[in-house]
Amino acid sequence: MRNRIFGGIGVLFVLPMLLLTGCWDSVELNRRAIVSGVAIDRGDSEAERYKLSFQVIVAEEISGEKSRGISPVALYTGTGRTMFEALADASRQTARFLSLGHVRVLVISEKFARAGIKDLLDVLERESDTRLNSLIFISKGQPAREIMSTMTVFSKIPANDLVEKLETTSKQFGYNFRMAVDDVIRGIQIRGGGPVINGVFTRGEWTPASGSNDSLKSIEPRSILRVSSLAAFKDDKLKGWLTGDAALGTVLLHNRIKEFPVLLKQQEGGYFSFNIYQSQVSLAVESSDPEHPVFTVKITQQAALKEAPHPLDLTSPKVLEELSDRLIKESVKHIQAAVSTAKELGSDYLGFGRALQRKDPRGWKKVRDHWEDVFADCEIRFDADVVIRHTDMRSNSFQIH
Amino acid sequence: MGKVKIGLVEFFSLTVLFELGTALVVNLGMGAGRDAWLSILLGCAAGLMMFTGYAYLYRKHPNQPFTAYTRQILGKYIGAPVGLVYIILYINLAARDLRDGSTMLAMATMHNTPLFILSALMLLSGAYVLHKGVEVLSRTSMVFAFVVLGIGLFGTVMLILSGTINLHRLLPVLENGFQPVLRSVIHQNYMFPFGEMVCFTMLMPYLSSVKKGPWIIAAAMVFSALLLSFTMALNVSVLGADIVERSPLPLMPTISKISISDIIQRVDIFVVMVLIIGVFFKMAVFFAAALIGISDLFKIPYRKMLYPCALIILFTSMLDARSFIEHLDEGGTLLYRVYPYLMIVVPALLVIVTAVRDHFSAPRPG
Repeated sequence: MRNRIFGGIGVLFVLPMLLLTGCWDSVELNRRAIVSGVAIDRGDSEAERYKLSFQVIVAEEISGEKSRGISPVALYTGTGRTMFEALADASRQTARFLSLGHVRVLVISEKFARAGIKDLLDVLERESDTRLNSLIFISKGQPAREIMSTMTVFSKIPANDLVEKLETTSKQFGYNFRMAVDDVIRGIQIRGGGPVINGVFTRGEWTPASGSNDSLKSIEPRSILRVSSLAAFKDDKLKGWLTGDAALGTVLLHNRIKEFPVLLKQQEGGYFSFNIYQSQVSLAVESSDPEHPVFTVKITQQAALKEAPHPLDLTSPKVLEELSDRLIKESVKHIQAAVSTAKELGSDYLGFGRALQRKDPRGWKKVRDHWEDVFADCEIRFDADVVIRHTDMRSNSFQIH
Repeated sequence: MGKVKIGLVEFFSLTVLFELGTALVVNLGMGAGRDAWLSILLGCAAGLMMFTGYAYLYRKHPNQPFTAYTRQILGKYIGAPVGLVYIILYINLAARDLRDGSTMLAMATMHNTPLFILSALMLLSGAYVLHKGVEVLSRTSMVFAFVVLGIGLFGTVMLILSGTINLHRLLPVLENGFQPVLRSVIHQNYMFPFGEMVCFTMLMPYLSSVKKGPWIIAAAMVFSALLLSFTMALNVSVLGADIVERSPLPLMPTISKISISDIIQRVDIFVVMVLIIGVFFKMAVFFAAALIGISDLFKIPYRKMLYPCALIILFTSMLDARSFIEHLDEGGTLLYRVYPYLMIVVPALLVIVTAVRDHFSAPRPG
């Protein structure tokens, strides 16, 4: 009898526990403020070392029913000596808990990037709420918070618009690619090198009005977010911006490009356009003397002819062969531009050191401490092959008789 | 004792879940850097050698648990204290696993939930299953083995489709020679999780087939070693050796890299499930081993000691260390300095004594 009573009481105590598993940490959805993007700026004083701006989604404005016609996102700025202090400072200004689980974009200002970004990454990988998948950008020549406070056309949430822009440029004709938190951390740890991070800036001058819905009311928005340029780092410090051929070559070496256009100039004037839709670049190392390694860049590409206004006989394999040869030269030019820029910046963000480490770990150990010098005068050879698979829907182009 | 028999398939899945346990989610063998997968395989080979010893003892005493045949082999006055030491070992191991599990849960998701509540809930569920009996535990393991393997398959396929796997990160193999791998094996991998198989000496009397049983368990060990090795290789190829080395729960960030068109993402809750399932089975097996030992040594019915023993495990796990760092440090020391005696030296002595005695007492022809 006594046992039964004890048992009954025990069950009464245990049952509610089973019903409440996991509730201890619950925060109701309507008490959360979902942060979609974070801008990280450097303040002027030590107490404002970190200036974080959180782009918070105003859920009511997105779903529509109860919307008041205000901005769909709000920006809260906090400052502090550490990232965490700045977060706490910003949290005190909001009515809801800042929820960092859905941060899609982190924008770091150029000023900060030039001073070094190592310290701010620690909290991003340590905190269990934040995700390694958040994309990192460097705001080119302007404060990061301006990027986070620019209204965009294609998404109510500017951070999402930025992500979509990156996806679009990375798929078509652009040299930017997804660069997440862990990619950057791994990049910083490359001996003698560093990460490459996407640049972002506003086209058209940014004014406070760019952050208003009114900015979108005209056909031509006042300022447009643009994902372009690559920020090249040495360790955790920004060294320079890559554009044009150097940027393209860098991405080719990282094998992160889907397709891109290449133009060939005709001697009679005018251009040929090609679309390179398949590109594979690999590095081979010959390191009998690790102090003077010889790298062979192997390029295999497939191209499609897009524009050919000249009366060339495009049905002849010989003509296409000649065009291929010129495309090969073009590809080599891209990579050469990338390599010479990297040597100028004194940073091996292209991954040559890692290729040596994979091939010859012992030799790598001998040169790793002065890899910058070895990299600066290492020899690079090319072994390229480009095939023009087809000329699309027509063979020869039409001419005026 | 010995009346209930457990089928071979159930034993296989119980062994697999026991081996995967916490080892699947932690940074196992990362002392060897990006060659962790190799050190796990070597650890398994060493573990199998130890297991042949346990299997030999089992074949000689198919109906007795470890604590019973120590008394038979070493005599009452040495054998009983040795048995008692093993009971304490199992309670300690169960408590350590409970602490591992509850702290990792607190680190990963439930930041504000008191550790005691997490531990108590996990332990109570284990105690409940053991109240139903070891055969229920083994059958439960079949269900959950499918869940864990399913999650593993899903995670792997999704990671491949997300395009985050870069096999270059596993290269170069053996960058610093063979030494770091061997050191990692000696410091950790042959003991954790393979040496912990010593507790199966308490459960093997339940095996339904004396002949096939040890083979099935050995096969389960190899299978789980392959899974663990694969998982660590996966972690390294997704995150890179350095991030894995610095993460206490590397599987979590690995799985969080899954993102397919931004639709399928944030599936890291699966890792939390794997963690809970693993800790549950590992702890329950140690718990069961301790209970079987107590009931055998002190002749107390198995169920009577269930809740007292649960309380001891719960409080051991809470009082074991102030912080997780202290707990891990302690674990490393135990793994290297204490467990080898209990998992290798004592069983080896028993094997030698049994073999020598057999050799001399066997009837000789002529």
